[in-house]
Amino acid sequence: MQSNYVTQKLSMLFLIIGLGWAMNTLAAISGITGSSFNLTAKKDYISTPDGNSIPMWGYANGTGLMQYPGPTLIVNQGDTITIILKNELPQPVSIVFPGQTGVTATGGIAGLITREAAAVSAPVADRTVTYTFTATHAGTYLYHSGTRPELQIEMGLLGALIVRPTGFNASNPTAYNHPHTAYNYEYLFLLTEIDPNIHELVEFNQLNNVDNTAYFPAYWMLNGRAAPDTLLAENNQLLPHQPYNCLPRMHPGDKLLMRVIGGGRDLHPFHHHGNHALVIAKQGRLLESTPGAGPDLATSVFTIPSVPGETVDAIFEWNGADLGWDIYGHQPGDPLEAGEYAPDHGKPIPVILPEGQNLAFWWFLERQSIFRK
Amino acid sequence: MNVISRGYLVPLLLGLPFLFVVNPISANVFVQCPGDIDGDAVIDTPDPNHPHAKCMHLSGGDGFITMADGKEMYIFGFADVTGLTPGEAMITALLSANMPSPAIVLNEGDEFYLTLTNVGMVLRPDLFDAHTIHWHGFPQAAPVFDGVPDASLAIKMGASFTYYYKVNDPGTFMYHCHVEATEHMQMGMLGNLYVKPAQNGTPFTYQGKTYTQFAYNDGDGSTGYDVDFAIQMGSFDPEFHDASEAVQPLPFAHMKDTYPMLNGRGYPDTIISTALPAPSKNGGKVSQKQSSLITANQGKRILLRLSNLNVTEFYTLASLGIPMQIVGKDAKLLRGPDGKNLYYQTNSVTLGSGESVDIIFDTQNVTPGQYFLYTTNLNYLSNNTEDFGGMMTEIVIN
Ligand SMILES: [Cu+2]
Repeated sequence: MQSNYVTQKLSMLFLIIGLGWAMNTLAAISGITGSSFNLTAKKDYISTPDGNSIPMWGYANGTGLMQYPGPTLIVNQGDTITIILKNELPQPVSIVFPGQTGVTATGGIAGLITREAAAVSAPVADRTVTYTFTATHAGTYLYHSGTRPELQIEMGLLGALIVRPTGFNASNPTAYNHPHTAYNYEYLFLLTEIDPNIHELVEFNQLNNVDNTAYFPAYWMLNGRAAPDTLLAENNQLLPHQPYNCLPRMHPGDKLLMRVIGGGRDLHPFHHHGNHALVIAKQGRLLESTPGAGPDLATSVFTIPSVPGETVDAIFEWNGADLGWDIYGHQPGDPLEAGEYAPDHGKPIPVILPEGQNLAFWWFLERQSIFRK
Repeated sequence: MNVISRGYLVPLLLGLPFLFVVNPISANVFVQCPGDIDGDAVIDTPDPNHPHAKCMHLSGGDGFITMADGKEMYIFGFADVTGLTPGEAMITALLSANMPSPAIVLNEGDEFYLTLTNVGMVLRPDLFDAHTIHWHGFPQAAPVFDGVPDASLAIKMGASFTYYYKVNDPGTFMYHCHVEATEHMQMGMLGNLYVKPAQNGTPFTYQGKTYTQFAYNDGDGSTGYDVDFAIQMGSFDPEFHDASEAVQPLPFAHMKDTYPMLNGRGYPDTIISTALPAPSKNGGKVSQKQSSLITANQGKRILLRLSNLNVTEFYTLASLGIPMQIVGKDAKLLRGPDGKNLYYQTNSVTLGSGESVDIIFDTQNVTPGQYFLYTTNLNYLSNNTEDFGGMMTEIVIN
């Protein structure tokens, strides 16, 4: 009674899982590494899946394209980090680094929260500011503009900062300097939302008409893209200003480190299907009872309440253990892959699945105009 | 591919009433339950190969509930049709959606066969929506039984899908339909789901009292309780529901919930200990069966399994007069990886949609009387335009 249609569909799912095996090279979050960075604040446009184009301000890597979010800065604990920011925007901009201490700012012009890079109309010498700090703690952090943050962060001037722990070994990585923070894959989940009205007003130089009491987001993004664009490859040429995707992949039994950042102004209950995740750190600090204890105060959750400005590190694992049937689709004689749960090997699925005619695939039906609501 | 073309959509629409009325015993209603002979999801002769089998038959469709200000609200939801033959189930389930959806209560170790039959939307014959069940938080979930339509299977009208869960983990979960989740969840396909631990039945003495019921396998009786309640926080946007009922475009971006609820009812309906009277618009079917009143005798320990499942809001629920002890979060005993006890005392909890906590109220030194559980998102102490009501209920200590 199990139709070919369902079998094909399941095979596709297994194929997608199978593709994961070939993706080992994507074990680490994409970004720019080192201790010295050149960022340029500039304007450009991003694309949304509904065909819209939204004017943005963002940080570019050197002379590269404006990108949303800004380049993910990946640095090593203990290093002195220097970031030189140049400004090509009509307003002064800056960068602040929540969670970092002892940040010094030189050059540019004085600002309210930190020194700023002056607007594009200012003398060239004033349009560059340099920030320096020592990355004393490993972890996941946010960086964003410290100039008119209520406007400029919305406009796109934000990014992620990842500090690798002392002694980091890329072939055996840990999130912090403790073996209980080991992982096989890491993924960034930078949650933001966009109110297109604000961007339009800025585009037409009507900054004074921006009304935050009327804030009304209409796009919600992971790493600068809305679904289904999140599923496209990184550096997709159709999305030149949104280089990062969000398509976590792993093998059964692997540990996947989720670095979740609340980059916007709303709270989001961020639910991951499949299994619980162990929250090991918040705001770049291990949840430990005493220094060196490791994440002994970690808790397992199925929903991460992502709070504006907060970062959460969680380790997700899944191997399909004890489902009562062989989720990998093995026949009894098939070999077991590493990390798979052995006791259910070769056991058939315990129910008869419906025939294809009784199953809906909404994404397909939704595209038929007759079904649009 | 499985395309419904315009060509036979019209005959399909015309034929729809006959599908249910003329020929209610649809061959496509298909309940799978080991040991069940007549397809009513009740085990007639236990199957020795499945000694821990448990079965349930839910229908997915539309219906009505009555809000605390008297408004009859159009909803989508599930109804419990366990015990009915496939033909009976198909008729009984029409326009009988419940809010919240029927509670699913399981024991650790169960093999749970959950059949979902999509009976269609009586008031929306233009809709061909599929439904699923997403067991939110199921550990080690299998995509095929996870209910996410883009990664799994969704059942169309007039047909059934049996979900299979080997229930290995105790705790407070929740469930909902995942098809067009923003719409179907706003419309009300939401329910309580919890699993009792294997430790139940084994006596543990904790703080001088012996318990045989526990929230989790705690090993020391510290989650022991005398009485337990499950409450789901939620809220509805009446304009969205009215638009759905009136076959109008749905205001997704403008969604604004103004009917806050505990178990599908606003105060003062929350303190009615029984089912609410049937609304008139669904033909007199009782559709709000789960009370949100908490009652206990003085000295008893109360376990409250609290979840939040709605589309728009984080909610804070506060307790006045009886402290909360949080012993579980997201269906896990609140302990660190090495077993460190992380229980904590508080007077309020804040949950986003899809979060749960297990709360112990110890009434040892509590004077008998009424105590209030209410949201400190104070604008939600209302039933739409009716000023006082909303997300509030009582703990009555006798
Ligand atoms: Cu549904």
